[in-house]
Amino acid sequence: MTAQFASMIARRPALTMGMALALAIAVVALLPGLFAPQPPNAIDVGRALLPPSAEHWFGTDHVGRDVYARVVHGARVTLGIVAGSLALSALFGGVAGTIAGYLRGWSDLFSGQLVEVILSFPPIFLGVMITGIIGSNVANLMLALSIVYLPLFFRAARSAAMVESARPYVEAAQVLGAGEGRILFRHLLPNVLPAVLTQYIILFPLALQIQAALGFLGLGVQPPTPDWGASLQESKDYVLYASWTAIFPGLALVVSSLAVILIGRGLQSRT
Amino acid sequence: MSETFDTNRRRLLKSVAAIPLLSLLGMSLTGVSAQAAAADLVYGASDPAAKQGGSLTVGSLIEPPSFDIYHQAGEAVNFVAPLMYQTLVYADHDGNPHPLLAESWEINEDASVYTFTLRSGVTFHTGQPFEAADVKYSLDYMRNAENGTIGALDFADIDTVEAIDPLTVRVTLKQPNSAFLITLTHRNGSIIPRDWYAGENARARLNSTSVGTGPFRLVEFVQNSYMRLERNQDYWQPGLPYLDEIVVNFIPNSAGMLVAVRNGRVDMAVLVRPQDAEQLEGVGGLTVQRSRSLNQKSLDLDSEYGPLKDERVRQAIALLIDKQAVMQAAISGYGQVLGTTVPGLQERWGVPLGELPNQTVDVDRAKALLAEAGHPDGIDIELRTIIGYDWMEPAALTLVEQLAKGGVRVAIQRLDLGTWLQNFRARQMGFTLNDWGTPPDPNILYYRHFHKKPQGADFRNWANDEASTLLDEGRQALAYEDRKAIYDRFQKLLAESVPTVMMFGADHIVVVSDTVKNHAMHPIGWHFGLVKTWVDK
Amino acid sequence: MTRFIVFRCLAAVLTVWLASMVVFAMVRAAPGDIIEMMMGQMGSSEGEAALRRFFGLDQPVYVQYFDWLGRVVTGDFGSSWRQGSPVLELVINAFTVSFELALLVLIVSSLIGVPLGLLAGYRAGSAVDTIIQAFNVLFLATPVFWLALMLLFGVSTFFYWSPPTIYVSPLRSLGDNLVILAMPMASLAFLQIAAYAQFVRQHVVQALQQDYVRALKARGVPARTILGKHVLRNILVPLITFMGLIFIQILGGVVVIESLFGLPGLGRLLVNALYARDFPVVQGALVMVLISAIAINLLVDILYRAIDPRLRS
Repeated sequence: MTAQFASMIARRPALTMGMALALAIAVVALLPGLFAPQPPNAIDVGRALLPPSAEHWFGTDHVGRDVYARVVHGARVTLGIVAGSLALSALFGGVAGTIAGYLRGWSDLFSGQLVEVILSFPPIFLGVMITGIIGSNVANLMLALSIVYLPLFFRAARSAAMVESARPYVEAAQVLGAGEGRILFRHLLPNVLPAVLTQYIILFPLALQIQAALGFLGLGVQPPTPDWGASLQESKDYVLYASWTAIFPGLALVVSSLAVILIGRGLQSRT
Repeated sequence: MSETFDTNRRRLLKSVAAIPLLSLLGMSLTGVSAQAAAADLVYGASDPAAKQGGSLTVGSLIEPPSFDIYHQAGEAVNFVAPLMYQTLVYADHDGNPHPLLAESWEINEDASVYTFTLRSGVTFHTGQPFEAADVKYSLDYMRNAENGTIGALDFADIDTVEAIDPLTVRVTLKQPNSAFLITLTHRNGSIIPRDWYAGENARARLNSTSVGTGPFRLVEFVQNSYMRLERNQDYWQPGLPYLDEIVVNFIPNSAGMLVAVRNGRVDMAVLVRPQDAEQLEGVGGLTVQRSRSLNQKSLDLDSEYGPLKDERVRQAIALLIDKQAVMQAAISGYGQVLGTTVPGLQERWGVPLGELPNQTVDVDRAKALLAEAGHPDGIDIELRTIIGYDWMEPAALTLVEQLAKGGVRVAIQRLDLGTWLQNFRARQMGFTLNDWGTPPDPNILYYRHFHKKPQGADFRNWANDEASTLLDEGRQALAYEDRKAIYDRFQKLLAESVPTVMMFGADHIVVVSDTVKNHAMHPIGWHFGLVKTWVDK
Repeated sequence: MTRFIVFRCLAAVLTVWLASMVVFAMVRAAPGDIIEMMMGQMGSSEGEAALRRFFGLDQPVYVQYFDWLGRVVTGDFGSSWRQGSPVLELVINAFTVSFELALLVLIVSSLIGVPLGLLAGYRAGSAVDTIIQAFNVLFLATPVFWLALMLLFGVSTFFYWSPPTIYVSPLRSLGDNLVILAMPMASLAFLQIAAYAQFVRQHVVQALQQDYVRALKARGVPARTILGKHVLRNILVPLITFMGLIFIQILGGVVVIESLFGLPGLGRLLVNALYARDFPVVQGALVMVLISAIAINLLVDILYRAIDPRLRS
């Protein structure tokens, strides 16, 4: 067991490191109270902008909240939003892409054009436009992120579905008289899934950056919800004399992206 | 990008000044002449040691959307407009009126007819001479709401404006108004050349050139970057202004501003977050100036919004608020806790806080009041803040904690300014933080906001008959003692019924490089002081 | 080839047209409008109505759209509601700033990133490779705006220096212009260097495994020649595609950090116009972004075909 584990680390160091990091982050995100018993929103104006100390590991922010607690509790908010919105776009984009790739014809052309329209906006512009207009809160932020990334899932699923539907077993199923819905959901979707999952892992760090950037532009979640991007937005004005308020939420973003990027690379390279 | 815009467009000038000035309280309302001492109060004190010339770079977090001054509201415009555009009357740091474009004036017995004698030999930046017809055009254009002007309501009181001769203008009001001179000192009373807006593309042209009579003229305005003002060579005040050039550099965030100040990229910066001043206190070559303002950071309670319909709920909320703590959180204590008026008016017009109801925290009474109002388990309510106002978030977070102690459970809702203004003007402000200022007169401060409809705007749906009667009386009374007594009664009513909780007023914090001389910020927060500022480089 | 270009151009026009409708509809759906921002808290209802008429906001949305579209087709993007200046002029001025910065980043990062990638790929598995890969992963994971914030903080704190705050066009003074853009450029470049290095490394590793490269190696052709003459030429096509993608990405990054450094670019123009509900400017800026993104994709597609004869059939 130990030997196996060691050999796995040796064979795929990136994947192992990424998995370990991701696991640790996931545990923190799921059980923040375990790691930071202090409430993330408790303000104490008298103790604002204190540097890191034994009592406040990451210092305090401009209203005396514990930065460590906010970073720990922010994991669930920030990563939850990214994971959730990507799951949404994977679901809708994946299903639509599979259908378009299988049916082709008008539905394909139409949805393809729609996707083209969304794709023609650089992600951050689209995000700014959507949240800037419909207002910023968790639901709208998730909506914006899922719209931004939907086309990429659509494309991945579409090309996978096209490849799959050309295979003999699909033709066989058609000959045997299986309904289109049955072919789609029983045969194609399971085979398209890996392509969508790969896309999910590739897009996760990118979506995380966009989520944080929107928060940084003040278009993220409503206060006092602890969110890394929003924390950076608040702390950017204090960075000159209370750098810890900006350093730690940023590091959290870096470490989370790093974990997913490592997993992605680990899965990609067989070496 | 915090912008302290003023709710009351008729913001004037007055407060306890940053620098000690002559007390002119005894001055009569009629016949003020341009004596040397009084002239010295226009734009602050003159400096005999001043050197002519030089350029000053001012960092600003807020940027004027445009210089179409008759159609564009906003503190960002107010900030710099007075350097280019002038009014008939100027109010000094203490709020006393002084002749500016008017050389003198006469007021009839009941303060309903104002006759102005205009200064001669003044020319606009366009080269045209300044005359009575220009004053008539400007005031008539501004007061006609059909023109889409921002100050129409300010001058709704005006019945007629007559140009008697080239240097005499008579303004007749529909009803007596003892505060009219102060009303005229706001930039909405700026005088522009006659028929300006009838010209082709007149609105847009104001962004590349200025057409006022002010000491500086606009030469360049680059959106999202900077604006450049040059000394008006034909300016009518001898020896002024001292500076040859002012560059206002728009820096979109506090971090960038602080870095720019510290590294000498700008000579002067107005800080909207006083906390930043602490960080610059020890830095060599810089001085932090702090002075009292005419603004207020308040908590507004719409009397037709959910549980706030019940006066007892509003009182309970007032009883839960520790204003000092909110101020500490929001602006590190760089301000003054308020009762029912702004810092600059407290001394002369305010009721001492100890004599006002609902000013000290009393959780038990608050709970009892809520129970009485049918909410024994407390209430849930949304508190609105405006995106871009830095102080609001810490203030809101503090209020959430304070109000929770009495069972008022608050959720914060951040709105963008456009949406917020839409709600505000539709009289659906709900439960919200607000940020506004006032000219130094209680009539201007209270009337529009708290008089019932239709005479007042009554944004908070207070609809209080007694208060409205008092406001009518206050507007017509002439003697200071009479007015003071009326406004004292009004303020006690305001504190008792709680349509608003005036929490605190923030001080003006200006950082200047040591090369900048003789700068004093006017209590209203506009850059009047730059006319007499000079640089020693 | 001509048919391909015509077809792609037509598709691009269609996309821009559909997207312009989306943009228009979204902008009009925004709560609040410029009237509020102009009148502040004290405007009168008559004044409000007058301004609404002045801007044509009293018309139904579809009328406003076709009115706007009709003029845009003739090249007239209207005037800013706030300032009256032509939208096209505002947008082009802002775009030039963003574009210059993006171009600088593109140049600097390809000049550094491509050699790094070649080195890492050629020495795959070595210590140098590991270091370069670690660098790549680290900067791919670092948000650009955070890096910018840290640079601003670090340089200002330790070197008492910060970029000048008033933007100077390169035409007025290239030196001053570069001084202003140095720090924003650096904050954006790290990510792109990492992206380049990773991309190139991957292709080099693949290319080196191919038979012809092995044969060259066996014949004793020097490493520099193999890399420069053979491998690099082979990855040129995918590299160009990649550059197009990256350029659009850089433009996005520029937008986020413009406010931080006070650059009068497209992002700041857009965010401020959105905030002020200056619709013609918002529409103009977004359409400009769209057109440039689509044009870059188009250009890449065409270049791709021009370079790679296999795709011409």
